[in-house]
Amino acid sequence: MPHASSFAIPLWQQSFIQAAVCMVGAVLVCLGALYYFRRYRVERPPVGTFNGRDITILLAIILALPFFYAILPAWAITCFLCLTFAASLSIGYQRLVNPAVFWGGLGLLLGANIYESHFMMGTVIGWQVWWVELDILVILGAISVSNLYVQGGMRLKHVAFFAIALAFYDVFSTLVINVTAVLVEEFVGQPLDPTFGFRFQATNYGIGIGDLLVYALFTVACYKAYGRKAARLAIGISVVFGAAAPSLCPLLIALIDFRNDILVPSQLFFAPVAFVAYLWMRRKYGRERTMAEYLASEDNAAPVTAPAQPAPAPEPVGV
Amino acid sequence: MFETGVRQIRLAVGMLSGRRLSTRNLGRLVADAVTTLAEFGEPGAEAQQLLGGPQADPETRQDFAERGLRRTARRLAVRSPFYARRLAGGPTEPGALDVDKLRAIPVTTKRDLIERPGDFVCTDAERYLSTRTTGTTGRPAEIWLSRYEMDLWSGLGALASVIRDELRPTDVMAVNMSSRAIAATHLTAATCRLAQSGCRLLGVLPPDDALDSLCGGGATVLATYPSYLAELVVAAQARGIGPDDFKLRRITVGGEVLSPALSDAARRTFGVPQLDDSYSMTEVIPVTGRTCSERHVHHDLNTGLVEVLDLVSGEPAAPGALGTLVITPYFPYRDCMPVLRYDTRDVVRCLPDEPLTCELAGTPGTSQILGKDGSLIRLGPSEVITPRQLIDAIESLPTRPWPARYRAAESGGRLRITLPTAAIEGFGESATRHHLAEAGVDAELVIVGDDQAAELRRTRSDLHEVSFAMPAALIGA
Repeated sequence: MPHASSFAIPLWQQSFIQAAVCMVGAVLVCLGALYYFRRYRVERPPVGTFNGRDITILLAIILALPFFYAILPAWAITCFLCLTFAASLSIGYQRLVNPAVFWGGLGLLLGANIYESHFMMGTVIGWQVWWVELDILVILGAISVSNLYVQGGMRLKHVAFFAIALAFYDVFSTLVINVTAVLVEEFVGQPLDPTFGFRFQATNYGIGIGDLLVYALFTVACYKAYGRKAARLAIGISVVFGAAAPSLCPLLIALIDFRNDILVPSQLFFAPVAFVAYLWMRRKYGRERTMAEYLASEDNAAPVTAPAQPAPAPEPVGV
Repeated sequence: MFETGVRQIRLAVGMLSGRRLSTRNLGRLVADAVTTLAEFGEPGAEAQQLLGGPQADPETRQDFAERGLRRTARRLAVRSPFYARRLAGGPTEPGALDVDKLRAIPVTTKRDLIERPGDFVCTDAERYLSTRTTGTTGRPAEIWLSRYEMDLWSGLGALASVIRDELRPTDVMAVNMSSRAIAATHLTAATCRLAQSGCRLLGVLPPDDALDSLCGGGATVLATYPSYLAELVVAAQARGIGPDDFKLRRITVGGEVLSPALSDAARRTFGVPQLDDSYSMTEVIPVTGRTCSERHVHHDLNTGLVEVLDLVSGEPAAPGALGTLVITPYFPYRDCMPVLRYDTRDVVRCLPDEPLTCELAGTPGTSQILGKDGSLIRLGPSEVITPRQLIDAIESLPTRPWPARYRAAESGGRLRITLPTAAIEGFGESATRHHLAEAGVDAELVIVGDDQAAELRRTRSDLHEVSFAMPAALIGA
């Protein structure tokens, strides 16, 4: 998402910077999610596991979000994003750090980003500080949510189909109805813009939190399903087809939109490859591991928890 | 996950609001629980809270009980002819009832149920299935159940069984309970269906037939009565078969006293780590009790109120004292033929007034069921011998007289126990008397022929279901 009104920087240079930014984001989120998955357990509800209908619900929410953003005033969107970041981060990290440190740190990050959005965007340094704060929030949020889903039972199959569905949506919203362009234009510089990125000179480069979430999900789901080799493949696919290929494709295809933004639907490149990789792994390795099978395997580096209390209750009815 | 969350919220809201619960929602929640265990191997950390409800905190428990009582009494005052009469003009309005004021309402007895069964059927309930008590302790009572109740109880039972890992989709449950136990067998089958387990409703077969069906992985869970379990243990030992011949992982018994000696023998014979000994009663379903490792019974207070009343005064029994269990199932858990303050005459001893340390300590408990009030032997003003004491002592004899056949009575201030010959065969009368005394049962013995054994004490295993080709045989001593 190189976003600038000036094309003083050559397109090839913009593309390579964009690729570098996206690759950093993809690597950080994939490795971070994997690290978290191997070592920490997210609390889950007593009953419930991720299934195909949950994917449908997620997609419905994603489809509705742009319209939601369109009708809400800026302050309401900021509040909504504050809540979203706070919820996603508290799910993943509240139990891992001292509550005072967690809530203090979170408040500082959110507050500083909101403040800078209003008062420090006149300089490149101001933008860069703003981006760094945002990047921390986005990466930590994507790591947390991807673990919530996969540790909640989301399977590689779900991720593969989710990515394909997102690819259709991404292409449609980016190239057909231009919703993505409008959102990017509206959000850049706004508080808590859900994007991982950075600014070099007059240009912002970035990748949406949704794309990073899918890469994290794919990596963690591959690891859970088939282990280390699958995870390595997933990271490779995420970096090459999720970050590098979409960033470099403007060198081959003109994708400059009506606002002079270059918006590339990343899932168009990533999702088909991820889906084929899923089919290949299923054929090569067989059935995916369940979460219970993963936890019992050597791939799990998290401390082993005591099994559930065996149950003493019987139910024959005396008469 | 999102759908399951909505279903859990619907169930919780239903429980708090006191309206009839959606049994379809409950069934789907059971399916979700099965899927959850298939994926994770165990439920989430707060699963016990989902099942246990607000039982740990006394204040919350009291508030919960009051709301349940008022809800139930309000409905009964309008819908149940029997209770409309009983509550009319009473000292307390049904809507203002609490645990203390409840004592002003007389207990309901089995005689009430037997004499006026139609008066207990609520006018807004649809009768679906009737079940009769087996009558081992007197005239049977007939209880009508609605379709809603059957769906609800099996749903609640299946949810608890799946979450506690008592039933898995890979399980096959052999149900060796009397075919006349209509509610029990129907509920067990429905519970297995929801839990996606197999179910073999076998009845009280000749023990060798039952063993044949258990051997070689014919069942992984066995549900039966202690007396019939005793027959199975005796038959298995006679045939020389042991743990390697079975694939049982769980045995659950109820309806009678299970002695430690029989429990140990069953564990060794069938190779299961422990036996689950439950308490339940057709008249007060779905209020049930679970036995913990310290041999307390912990009653499910989510579905009803359990009082322990002194056997003589009818006032709440003091810690350490004997009392009868008086149970009130709450609406909407009891629908068609509900009872208010049903006096089970099942005797328990109140636990000392000190904190519990067992794994079910969050729920109040009592001693295990000691027997029916009518079966207590009173040797003096303070000395009482309970059926559990007698069964525990007799079944621990080295002659393995399982199930225990005996008659006990007071004779001149002393306990007299009648036993069949087989109970002391090879051990001797004197040694038996000494053994019983060591077990706390000092008694004079009367020995009768084995042909009289079945007359001494009737057990549920006597409800044998034999085929034309097979004569009924007496097993046990």
